Amino acid sequence: MSDQSAPSRNGFFLRAERITKVYSDGTVALKEASLELRPNEIVGLLGENGAGKTTLTKILSGLLPPTKGRVVSPKGAVRFGSPREALDFGIGMVHQHFALVGTFTAVENVALSHERPFRRIRIEETRRKLERLIEESGLRVPLGVPVEKLAVGEQQRVEILKVLSRDVDLLILDEPTSVLTPLEVDELFAFLRRLRDQGKSIILITHKLKEVGSITDRVVVLRRGEMVGDVKTSEASVEQLARLMVGQEIEKEADAVELKTDEIPRAASRREIDRSGDGVLHVENLVVKGNTGETAVDGVTFDVYAGEIFGVAGVEGNGQTELVESLAGLRVPVSGAATINGENILGLDPRQIYRLGVAHIPEDRWELGLVLPFTLAENAILGVHRWEEFRGPLGLMRWGRIGQHVRRLMERFDIQATGPNAPAKSLSGGNQQKLIVGRELAKDPAVIIAAQPTRGLDVGAAHYIRQTLVEMRDRGRAILLVSADLDEVLAHADRVAIMYAGRFVEVCPPDDLDRQRIGMLMGGAAGRETE
Amino acid sequence: MSSVESSAQSRWLRGIRRTVTGLHPVSESLLAAVVGLLVGAVLMYIYGFDPWRAYVGLIKGAFGGSYELASTISRATPLVLTALTFSICLRAGMFNIGAEGQMYMGGIASVLVAYFVLPRGLHQIVGLLFAAFAGAAWSLVPAFLKLTRGVHEVISTIMFNWIARWLALYLAIFVVVDPRRPEKTLSIPISARFPVLVRGTDLSYAVFVSVAFALAMYFLLWHTAIGYEVRAAGLNPSAARYGGIRSKRTMLLSFVLGGVAAGLAGASIVMGLPPTYAIYGGGGLPQLMNLGFDGMAVAMVGRNHPIGILVAAVFFGGLNAGGRVMQFYGANPVPLEMVRVVMGAIVLTMSVPELIRLFPMIRRRGEDLFGILRRARRTERRESA
Repeated sequence: MSDQSAPSRNGFFLRAERITKVYSDGTVALKEASLELRPNEIVGLLGENGAGKTTLTKILSGLLPPTKGRVVSPKGAVRFGSPREALDFGIGMVHQHFALVGTFTAVENVALSHERPFRRIRIEETRRKLERLIEESGLRVPLGVPVEKLAVGEQQRVEILKVLSRDVDLLILDEPTSVLTPLEVDELFAFLRRLRDQGKSIILITHKLKEVGSITDRVVVLRRGEMVGDVKTSEASVEQLARLMVGQEIEKEADAVELKTDEIPRAASRREIDRSGDGVLHVENLVVKGNTGETAVDGVTFDVYAGEIFGVAGVEGNGQTELVESLAGLRVPVSGAATINGENILGLDPRQIYRLGVAHIPEDRWELGLVLPFTLAENAILGVHRWEEFRGPLGLMRWGRIGQHVRRLMERFDIQATGPNAPAKSLSGGNQQKLIVGRELAKDPAVIIAAQPTRGLDVGAAHYIRQTLVEMRDRGRAILLVSADLDEVLAHADRVAIMYAGRFVEVCPPDDLDRQRIGMLMGGAAGRETE
Repeated sequence: MSSVESSAQSRWLRGIRRTVTGLHPVSESLLAAVVGLLVGAVLMYIYGFDPWRAYVGLIKGAFGGSYELASTISRATPLVLTALTFSICLRAGMFNIGAEGQMYMGGIASVLVAYFVLPRGLHQIVGLLFAAFAGAAWSLVPAFLKLTRGVHEVISTIMFNWIARWLALYLAIFVVVDPRRPEKTLSIPISARFPVLVRGTDLSYAVFVSVAFALAMYFLLWHTAIGYEVRAAGLNPSAARYGGIRSKRTMLLSFVLGGVAAGLAGASIVMGLPPTYAIYGGGGLPQLMNLGFDGMAVAMVGRNHPIGILVAAVFFGGLNAGGRVMQFYGANPVPLEMVRVVMGAIVLTMSVPELIRLFPMIRRRGEDLFGILRRARRTERRESA
C-alpha cells in the first residue's frame, strides 16, 4: 500500500508484501495485506476483534507462516520458522497471553529467553541488565518473586522487559495498556517514544482510538482481514478512523460518541436508591489472603444495594481478584462477614452461593468461565446444570431443552456461532464472553459480580455487555463491577471504590473525583488522608 | 538465523505435520492400526516370514467364520471393561493405571460364589456384585491416598497392581484353591456360570455384561448430570469448581466406576470362560495376565469413548484370536509374539501426532547447535589469523 512512497530500498526495516493467511479451518484471516515498517516510527494497528491484527503480527514475528505473500527486509525476502529466529533478526512481540514460566522469577524468565543450548545461563548479568532496563523504561516489577505470584499487569511488564532485553529493532505490542494504570500507560508511552527516537520501529495493536491519537505516527486500519487504511496520524480524524474500523456509518448517536471520543457515555441510574440498612450484598471487614499468603484484601467493608452498580477501580493486583473470588466461593477468607439478603455466604461453595441468587462473570474466561473443549450447549449450563429445567428424572440431561435455551441465548445476546454444538474454543473472545454473560444473567440473579467483563473485547461487544449490565441495574439488580478499565467504571458505576493494597482508599460517586486524584489514589499516593 | 526463503523440504515437513495433527480421531485410530500392521509386516519380512500369508491366516483366524468370530468377541469381552477403567478415569482427569490389579481382585472375589448355593440368575448377580465391589474397593485406596495425602495416582495404582498380583496369586494357591486340583481355584458352580453363547466356542453370555456396561457408561457420561460433571472436572478443574462441581466427588466416582469395570472384567473371565470356570494359580494367573494393560491400548485406540472402545476391543480381540491361528498357518508359521509387536506399533503410532509436533523443535535445536559451532570455528580462525 505504501510501497510507492518508500524513499529508497533502505528506507524501511521490514515490509510485508501482499500477505494472505488462510487458516486450516478455511477462515481467511488476511487478504493481500501489505505493510511497511520504517525506523523511527510508531505504527498503530487498529481494528476490531477478528480483523486480522494479531494474525498479521504473528506472521511478522515468525509465529505463523503466511499462506501467500512474503516478508521482505532490505537484504531480501525473509522467512522466520520460529519466534526465536525472528528475535535473532530483531523482531520481538509482546502477546496478550503471556509466555512466562510461572515458577520462575522475572530474572529467571528473562535469562531463559536468552538461553542457548550448551551455554551457561547468566542470572547475575541478566539481573543487572534488567535493573538498568527498569530504570530506563519505568516498568517496575519485583525481580525476585516467582512470576505466577505477580499480578497480571506486572506479568505483562515482565513480558515487555523480556523482549526489550533482546535489543530488538521492531517491537510489537498486542494491546499492552489494558492492564496498566493511567500513570503506567503514560510511563510506557514515554518509554516507547524514547525507543522510537533511538531508531526503533514499533507496532502497537489496539482498538482504543485515544491511544492511537496520543502516541502513534501512522495508523493502519484492518477490517475483516483487509487493509482499509494507512494514514499519518496527524492527518487522520478520529471519525474517519472509527468509520474505517467499523466499516459502516455509525447507527446510533451514543455509539458514535463512544467511538469518536473513546469516552464511554455516562449511564447513571435515574432512580434514587434507598441506601439505608444493609445492601443486598453486604461485606464487612473482609480479610483474604492471596496465593503467596500475603494479605490481599485487608479489611474491606461495603454494601451493594439493589438497583446500583458498585464499581471497584484500581490497578490489577491490589486485591480485586481475591475479593471477587472470596465472594464467589472460590477462595476461603481469613475473617470478616459477607451476606446476601442477610444470609451468610462466606465459606460456602460456589453452588450454594449461586442458589442464593448470585451470578459471577469471572475475570479469566478461559480458565474459569468456560470449559473450552465443551460445546456451546455444555458451557451454557455450567453451574445451572442441576436445574430442573435442564435435568430430568434420574439425573438425565434434557439436551433438547438445553439446545433451545442456547438458541435463545444466541439470539438474545447476539452470539455468533454455527450452533449449540459448536465447541466453545471455536468462538471469538467477544462471543465467548457474551456466552458467559448470557449464561450468568439467565440465572435471573439478585447480585451480579462482574470481574473485568469487557477485557480484550472489541468496541461492539464491550458496548453490548456494558449495556446489558446497565439494563440489569435498571431492573433492580445489585451489581458489583470490578474492572481495570477506569473509563468503564467511571461511566457506569453509581458509586466507585478505588482499591489500593487491599483496601478501599476512597468510596464515592464518580462525579466527585477528578482524573488526577483518581490516578494518585490508584497509585497509592494520596493515602487515606481524606477520611 | 532467518533462512532466506523456505526450502521445499521444510514445506513438505510442515505439510505432513498439518495432515497428521488435523486428522479426525477416528481416521487417526484407523491409520494407527494400518501402520501397526505394516510395521509387523516389515518385521516379518526381515525375519524371513511371509507377511501376506501370515495376515491372511490372522484375518481368517479372527473373522473367518462363526467359531473364529466368537473367539474374537470372547477375547474382546474383558478388554472392553479394562479399557473403560482407564477411559472413565481419564475423562475425569485421572490416570488410573490400576485396571490390572483391580481386575485380579474382582476375579478372586467372584470365585467366592463357589462357597454357597443360590438359585440361577441370582447367583450370577451376586458374583458380579462381589467382583464389582472388590474392584471398586481396590481402586478406592489410591483414590483416597490422592485425596487425603496427595499421592499421585499413577504411582499408587501401579504399586497396587503388584500388591494385587501377589495377593491374588497367594489367594488362588492357598485359600480359594480347589482341594482336588491345586493348580487352580474352585470352579464356579453351574448356577453362577455364564452359559456359552455359541456352542463349541468360549464365547459366553458374559459379553452382554461387557457391552451393557459400555453402553451404560456412554449414557452416564453424555446424558446425565453426574457424567457432565465428571467430564467438566476432567477437562477444566477450575472451571468446574466455578460451576459448583465438587471435583473430589467426581474423582471418587470415576475411580469407583473404573474399579467396578475392572472387577467385572475379572468376573467375566472367571464366571464366563469355559471350560473350567476357574483361575489357574499355576503359571501365575495366565488367563488374567496383562488384560488390564492391554485395556489401556484399547482405550487409546478407542479414543476413550465407550463406543470406540467396543470397536477397538473387537480389533484387539481379533489380533489375539487370529494370532493363535497365524502360528499354525503355512510351512513357516509366524510366532504369536508378532501380534504383540503389532499391538506395540499401534500404540506407538497413536502417540505420533504428538511426536510430529516436536519435529520443528528438534530441527531448530539442531540448527542452533550448528550455528554455535560455526561461529566458534569462525572466531577460532580469526584468532589464529
